[in-house]
Amino acid sequence: MLLIALALLACKREARELRTDPPATDALNGVVPMANRINGGLPRIFIAQGSPYENNAYQLGQGKRLYDWFNCKGCHANGGGASGPALTDGRWRYGPDPVSIFLTIRDGRPHGMPAFANRLTTEQIWQLTGYVRTMGAYSAQTAAPSRNDEMQSRPAENRAPAATEIRMPPSR
Amino acid sequence: MRALATSLALLCAGCTGSQTVLAPMGPQAAQLNWLLWSFILICGIIWLLVMFVLVLALRYAAVPSQRGERRAAVIVGVSVAASALVIIVLTVMSYAATRGLSVAADDPLVIRLRGYQWWWEVTYTDRRPDRMLVTANEIHVPVGHPINIELSAADVIHSFWVPNLVGKQDLIPGRRNDLTFTASRPGVYRGQCAEFCGLQHAHMALLVIAEEPAAFEAWRDAQLQVARPPETIEQEAGRTFFVSQPCAACHTVRGTNAAGTLGPDLTHVASRRTIAAGLLETTRGSLAAWIADPQTIKPGNNMPMVTMTPEQLRAVSAWLVDLQ
Amino acid sequence: MFAGLRPRRMLLCTAVLLASASGFAVSLQSSAASDIDVGNVGGMTLRLALPIRQTSGSAGRAIFDHDRLFVITPFPHSVLALNLARTDASVLWRYSPRADGMAAGLATGHVTTDGAVLSAGRLFLNTFDGHTIALDAATGGVVWDVAMADVERGETLLVAPLAIDDRIYIGNSGSDFGVRGWMAALNAATGRMLWKRYNAGPDVEVGIGEGFSSPYLPREPDLGVTSWPANAWQQGGGGLADAPIYDAPLGLLIHTTGHPAPMNAEQRPGANYFTSGLFARDALSGDARWFVPINPHDLYGFGAAGSLIPADIHWQGNNRAVLIHPDANGMVYVLDRSSGQILSAHPFLEVNASEGLDARSGTLRGNPAKAAHVNSTTRDICPAWPGATGGTARAAFAPQTGLLYIPVSRLCMDMEARQASFMPGTPYMGANLRIKPPRDSNRRGALLAWDVAAGRLAWSADESLPVESGVLATAGGVVFYGTLDGWFKAVDASSGRPLWQFHAASAIVGQPIGFQRADGRQYIAVAAGVGGAAGAVAQKEIDIRDATAARGYANAIRDLKPAATDGMLYIFSLP
Repeated sequence: MLLIALALLACKREARELRTDPPATDALNGVVPMANRINGGLPRIFIAQGSPYENNAYQLGQGKRLYDWFNCKGCHANGGGASGPALTDGRWRYGPDPVSIFLTIRDGRPHGMPAFANRLTTEQIWQLTGYVRTMGAYSAQTAAPSRNDEMQSRPAENRAPAATEIRMPPSR
Repeated sequence: MRALATSLALLCAGCTGSQTVLAPMGPQAAQLNWLLWSFILICGIIWLLVMFVLVLALRYAAVPSQRGERRAAVIVGVSVAASALVIIVLTVMSYAATRGLSVAADDPLVIRLRGYQWWWEVTYTDRRPDRMLVTANEIHVPVGHPINIELSAADVIHSFWVPNLVGKQDLIPGRRNDLTFTASRPGVYRGQCAEFCGLQHAHMALLVIAEEPAAFEAWRDAQLQVARPPETIEQEAGRTFFVSQPCAACHTVRGTNAAGTLGPDLTHVASRRTIAAGLLETTRGSLAAWIADPQTIKPGNNMPMVTMTPEQLRAVSAWLVDLQ
Repeated sequence: MFAGLRPRRMLLCTAVLLASASGFAVSLQSSAASDIDVGNVGGMTLRLALPIRQTSGSAGRAIFDHDRLFVITPFPHSVLALNLARTDASVLWRYSPRADGMAAGLATGHVTTDGAVLSAGRLFLNTFDGHTIALDAATGGVVWDVAMADVERGETLLVAPLAIDDRIYIGNSGSDFGVRGWMAALNAATGRMLWKRYNAGPDVEVGIGEGFSSPYLPREPDLGVTSWPANAWQQGGGGLADAPIYDAPLGLLIHTTGHPAPMNAEQRPGANYFTSGLFARDALSGDARWFVPINPHDLYGFGAAGSLIPADIHWQGNNRAVLIHPDANGMVYVLDRSSGQILSAHPFLEVNASEGLDARSGTLRGNPAKAAHVNSTTRDICPAWPGATGGTARAAFAPQTGLLYIPVSRLCMDMEARQASFMPGTPYMGANLRIKPPRDSNRRGALLAWDVAAGRLAWSADESLPVESGVLATAGGVVFYGTLDGWFKAVDASSGRPLWQFHAASAIVGQPIGFQRADGRQYIAVAAGVGGAAGAVAQKEIDIRDATAARGYANAIRDLKPAATDGMLYIFSLP
């Protein structure tokens, strides 16, 4: 009886935060970039909320949807890169920390990355940031984005570590 | 007695209205209606018969005997044969009635219906691609003209069901299903997603508006126009905000630079009776409320809350409500 | 002094082209005048090897003029004038236009530059970030510089200009970003625009009027509007797919149009005129004369990529001015230059995306089993994006053999169409692509010799990797081409027999050129440096574990070694 009760305790469903209050959105947008604008400090609310864009499967799943919807694939493929750099190989031009990826998406970068500040909301940029970080993560995570419904072209996102320079024969 | 009368009245209220199988408004729905009543009638008679025999059997329990055994065997045999016959007859009736639902009619109006979480994209096809029309959550059809609906889904399985006219048929990602129907009387018929498709499954309704052919053509021609230009300064400001902000990444308004295809086409959004897939009546207030806080109105849907000032919200809603 | 040197023993000139070379005496002069031919090409030796500092592929065609060699490097560009009269081939001048870095992210597909064009003492070039520039060939000074394309919207100038008399013809690229294609003529003296005609939209903007006729189009006005869903032509792509040509006697400018956007064809029902076809325009007014829809309602993003080769050949009993066009879709077209009528069309390799030509409509009968659909994967479509030939793979025609030499990719692909949403400045594609070698074979490329008159294959030289370089066919009966594994090869034009080869420092996707100096000696020059679709795999930050990387191309050539060196410019001649 006790065991069943204990087992049932584990059946807690992950909380889905569907709505972010406008003041919280403003705070999330308030990253403080360093002078070189490469990266900066995480907004305090990010930690205060429990870093949902890092460890909440729903937020990562939303990021995955946005990655498909907002034409990221045109340049970065399914993480392998094309005219933009690969995202799965663990090499980051501006470092792997969330703020630099957030700034990359929001403000764009020289050499081709367009700014998405007027195309995505702050919440969406964080969701996308979280998802992009899972693609090139150095260590495996418990929170994973949703299943891939498309052409299966690469190992799943949460199968860290990111690796480079593996030469394989063409898959058929 | 009073309670019985009330419940009967309530039950009968279900027999008319814009979302009931009991008020068929087209030949396909009539066929299904006929099928339904035939089934109820036949099954009802059989049920009564079985009950009657059961009562007899309980009342007059037979003494076991050689002759009785043989008689029982005959009765069982005859009953099995009768059941099989009834099932075959019902199957044939069912087949005959539903066969016509997915057979394309001659020269039908072909409409593509694509299910999204949680709204419907409606595309009117035409031989000339530039006369194709994309709208959402509202299907206008000419009365008496056969309609061929091509069903597909973008994300998960949905199901198309407009009880007064036709249904159900699933919308399945990666494949196409077909459905044929004709609306024989003008009216507004409500449909509903009939396959659980996520958090807001209950808020995924659509309207079928059956009109006289002339009215339908007028509607179609009006819809083919690009969005009307803003008339006031406020509307102009609304349009400027819309095309330069995240709105344009997902929504199309023909006649502006907004050409996103992730959300419903808003070129003539104010001509539709409802927004958010049947959730709210289209008014300036409801548009503003929806834009201001979509996640409170329909939690979990894919419309994000875009940061904007009250002035911007007023301007955008003023412009959108003018997109007749 | 040069005679005994073999390539492997030869010292490479250490000067980077961006600086003046010094201290190394390589004589390009020689007294023995001779032509390179089948008999002696085997003895050809390297005369000069210059490292070119570059970041992406070198597909450009170097230009030889009066002992000067003009070289344009890929984006961000530099133009160099080399003095071949000097023993060290020193740099006469160098010009580096200011580059808009945003363009670097727009280089999908053929990540190359196409070179410049020399006319009346001026060098005209298109920069990838959208400028057309005229330089004084003697000094490298800028005569004029006009901005023609808007990089912020994803619009680029990928194809080199064409200079005819006092006019410069340019066309834009950017079909992958939903940029509406156009062709324009500029005044060569001032850079002022003479006319600009679009490749989709209303007839007035396309330039269709009185003088236009096409046997393959319905006689209706505004096909560039009515063959698209409402307003879709505005972001419908159709930029220039390959280099345009000029027909002097007819006064025609003939150019290809690129693929319609997005690649997901279910989003753009209709024939999508005038994308993926061949346009002939009056060179003076820009008015359209004829149009041939090559891949209407283009399912696979081919465009009408592929070389345009004017030839006057003996055709079925009489001499005819034809246009030979090997297309990305795997067919060789022979058209009448004056009317656009298709005289013949044959597949030059195995294709399954189409099932032959429908003579009445002039277009291919598609194979419904290989059509791509939204959210479902169609497997083994041959040929694959980016086409059986085209882009940097430029074909050559040799009148003396009657053979067309086509550099080809024998690749197939899996394609899944996806809903694409148009956001200006971001890719408007809508497809998951995975390219792979054909079934039962690892011969992913070849140089094909196609008998144009007979409509059949004469010979083929198979290669392990796709052939992405241009082809040079010399009057001496030798055909030169380069491979992705770095070989620069010479074969017999009539039989395909290997005659000579040279291993370059990097893959070759450039166009070999031949030129003759005042001494009468023939030289062959080619730039090595991986580029094009293959360049993305070898040089960009690509993770090949993703089969869709580099738009699927990475999967097809996973065994291509990463390019370690900068590009090189090689010059060869007989000893």
